[in-house]
Amino acid sequence: MCIMLVALLAVIAAQPAEAQLYQGRKLVEASLVADTSAIVPGKPFRLGVHLKITPGWHVYWQNPGDSGIATEVGWDLPDGFSAGTLQWPLPKRIAEPGDIDVYAYKNETLLIAEITPPEIFGAESVKLRARPSWLVCEQICIPGSTELELVLPVAQTATPAHADLFAKFAAELPRTSPPPFGVHWTRTATGWNLSLAGIEAAGQADFYPYANEKAPVGHMAPVQIAGGGADLAVPVEGSPEVGGVVIVENGARRGWIVSSKQNTELAAPAKKSAPRGLLGYLLLGLVGGFILNLMPCVLPVISLKIFGFMRQAGDSRAQILQHGLAFAAGIFVWFLGLAAVIVALKSAGHEVTWAFQFQNPWFNFVIGAVIFVFALNLFGVFEIVLPGRATQGISEAGSHGGLGGSFAQGVLATLLATPCTAPFLGTALGFAFSQSAAVIFAVFAAVAAGMALPYVLLSAQPGWMKFLPKPGAWMERLKQFMGFPLIATLLWLLCVIGQQRGTDAVIWAGASYLFVGLAAWLYGAFLGPLSSARAKTLATAGIAISLFLGLGYFAGNLFARSAAASPGKKSSTPAEGMPWVPYSEAELQRLLAEGKSVFVDFTADWCITCKFNMRTAIDTPAVRAAFAKLGIVPMLADWTNSNPEITRKLAQFERVGVPFYLFYAPGRANDPVVLPELLTEQIVLRTIGAQP
Amino acid sequence: MKTIAKSAVVLLTIMGTALAEPHTGEPAPEFTLTDSNGQSHKLSDFKGKFVVLEWLNHGCPFVVKHYGSGNMQKLQKEFTGKDVVWLSIASSAPGKQGNMTPAEANVAKEEKGSAATAVLLDADGTVGRLYNAKVTPHMFVINPEGTLIYMGAIDSVKSPDPADVANAKNYVKQALDEAMAGKPVSEPTTTPYGCGVKYAN
Repeated sequence: MCIMLVALLAVIAAQPAEAQLYQGRKLVEASLVADTSAIVPGKPFRLGVHLKITPGWHVYWQNPGDSGIATEVGWDLPDGFSAGTLQWPLPKRIAEPGDIDVYAYKNETLLIAEITPPEIFGAESVKLRARPSWLVCEQICIPGSTELELVLPVAQTATPAHADLFAKFAAELPRTSPPPFGVHWTRTATGWNLSLAGIEAAGQADFYPYANEKAPVGHMAPVQIAGGGADLAVPVEGSPEVGGVVIVENGARRGWIVSSKQNTELAAPAKKSAPRGLLGYLLLGLVGGFILNLMPCVLPVISLKIFGFMRQAGDSRAQILQHGLAFAAGIFVWFLGLAAVIVALKSAGHEVTWAFQFQNPWFNFVIGAVIFVFALNLFGVFEIVLPGRATQGISEAGSHGGLGGSFAQGVLATLLATPCTAPFLGTALGFAFSQSAAVIFAVFAAVAAGMALPYVLLSAQPGWMKFLPKPGAWMERLKQFMGFPLIATLLWLLCVIGQQRGTDAVIWAGASYLFVGLAAWLYGAFLGPLSSARAKTLATAGIAISLFLGLGYFAGNLFARSAAASPGKKSSTPAEGMPWVPYSEAELQRLLAEGKSVFVDFTADWCITCKFNMRTAIDTPAVRAAFAKLGIVPMLADWTNSNPEITRKLAQFERVGVPFYLFYAPGRANDPVVLPELLTEQIVLRTIGAQP
Repeated sequence: MKTIAKSAVVLLTIMGTALAEPHTGEPAPEFTLTDSNGQSHKLSDFKGKFVVLEWLNHGCPFVVKHYGSGNMQKLQKEFTGKDVVWLSIASSAPGKQGNMTPAEANVAKEEKGSAATAVLLDADGTVGRLYNAKVTPHMFVINPEGTLIYMGAIDSVKSPDPADVANAKNYVKQALDEAMAGKPVSEPTTTPYGCGVKYAN
């Protein structure tokens, strides 16, 4: 009863308290609306000031432009309530005589703020007040203001309200995510040159700057997009930092908030300063690198490394530290090499992303061969003796060759870590990819440092290794046993190859590995220091033939042709129980436009973390049931093979790797929730609102 | 070839912009206008004196704010009293808000109690466009050497509410006080606010 009364009051109270008249007409009709039927404690909702404007007249955007004055909204909320910043839908540019351009709204607009109520409060209803003020102009200008009031009941559950109105204007809000095209700022004599590149649509590009009190920012004319790019001259004396909204118009009209502080390229090397937030990203890289040690893909190598440390525990401290540093050097060399390749490819204009290597079947094939050979080594088929050391004494070879081994293991450990983008790492790398070469190197070095840290610490403080078991005969057995995780990793790689290139490719890769294995056995059995010269000659010939058959014939010929035989074989992750819709940006936008809520899973067959999440947290009976009940469309973005559309979508969120999960709640087409990279069923259910 | 053409366009745009817009620290563009009493005034005639240019439209709420509160007149009295030349310029086109015949301009000056040196009529907008005057009131200050030393808003609170005058920093007064004391103007350019100047279409 009480609730009903309050709801009735709400309708009455939402009437404007005061309005300005011009020739008997009310030029602006203001009302206060909420996107919810009731306030749920602790649950943010949106309030909108809805302005209906007499045709022909306009009110102003946050930067009015050359004349006029920004519309303002003051909030008067109860204690404990907080209002977010005012969100402004895209205005229109209106040109007036005398080169006066203004940014304004005609007919109607909705200025939106997110309101967060306190977690706990006792009232049965809440009175919310807004005080909008505006200048409304046609030929002449008239200032206006009013006080609006809205009373909402307090309840434990609420239903959406004014959904159409909020959806319409939320769709017109500029996006805060990075635009899906390049933005480069260059200082010029008269302000800035804002250069856009890689825009997919034809049409017009425009920039609406934010106001700057001390330096008037002039206006520019909209520019036709040519060859995916556009150059906009932003006139502002002295070129202070500017922010604003880049607008791309091609039928649809979309805006992205940008700032000259990001992606800035100075015309002259006049000013040098560390990019904002670099330190934070380096720290994230460091932490992410450390966490890489704990990810599933690295586990086989971790066990390898633990074994290595145990063996070294009997050596001198100096030697142990040398091993640790050699391992760290391997990690650094890998990451910096990767950074060099990325910088080179980036400058060549390719789309390069984290773990991109595993999208290349040849890369998978070669890594598979390396892992297979490592496994054979652990099984005892042959011993690694580094060239140049073989002739030296066994003890010397043991210590020095061991350093080479530690170095190689450092490289291998990082190689295997790349498909699992650990939490933090995604952010740091997403940042790095939009940055200069120096920054990419710095971030990759930070990741390397993070990953190497525990090894260097343990080798510098071998005292801590006393917690590890004592060496003994069991070590040889353990070493052999550790070959099996490597074989398991090899199976995984073959599975990826199979999904990329089909069954034939797996068979030819297997045949190739067979001969590589034979070569390894010949090497181990007949090229030792005790073998006769004749045996050595024959074995060398056998190795040459095996490698020719393995790498030349099976890999170079049959494996390569299997790829050609199944062109464009697209892996589709098994449907399992979830009725997945394949991702495309067009389909996503269509679903969002229909007001559907969508869960997008960015995954790849080579990403074990993705698979783990899928099995344990996404494709489970409880989550499937919740999706069905709430009408959530599950969308699968499969990145097993390179897919530029998915790469761009990831880039929008400053991500360069999978796993990545997005949830678009109803009516929040511009504002998806980003889920963590390690999921639990509970996290998913909470995010989609199926669980409190 | 395309690059050269593009560079040329950019260069021309830059030069065009530089020519079109007045800049503080540079000579104020020369002009001649007739006032509401039929007398002709040339900017260079006032060399040796500070000159204030005030863009005027008595129908604009922001002009009403500063005349209704007496703020503008007070400023005019203070500085004409210090031998400053104060020129109010109306660039509204015929038929648009703020356009005045010489007689109407004199009546308005009388009614509002304006202490301006002269009210100049610029119905074709030539001088307004020369100074890139966007709003009323858009303010310019020129020093005795003929250099533009301030352009922008009249004060720091962008609103049509007369009550805000008291809380605002007056940029024109600041510029004149500093320049008269032989100091550089601390805020030579600000973003103006007000109604758009009602130029001819």
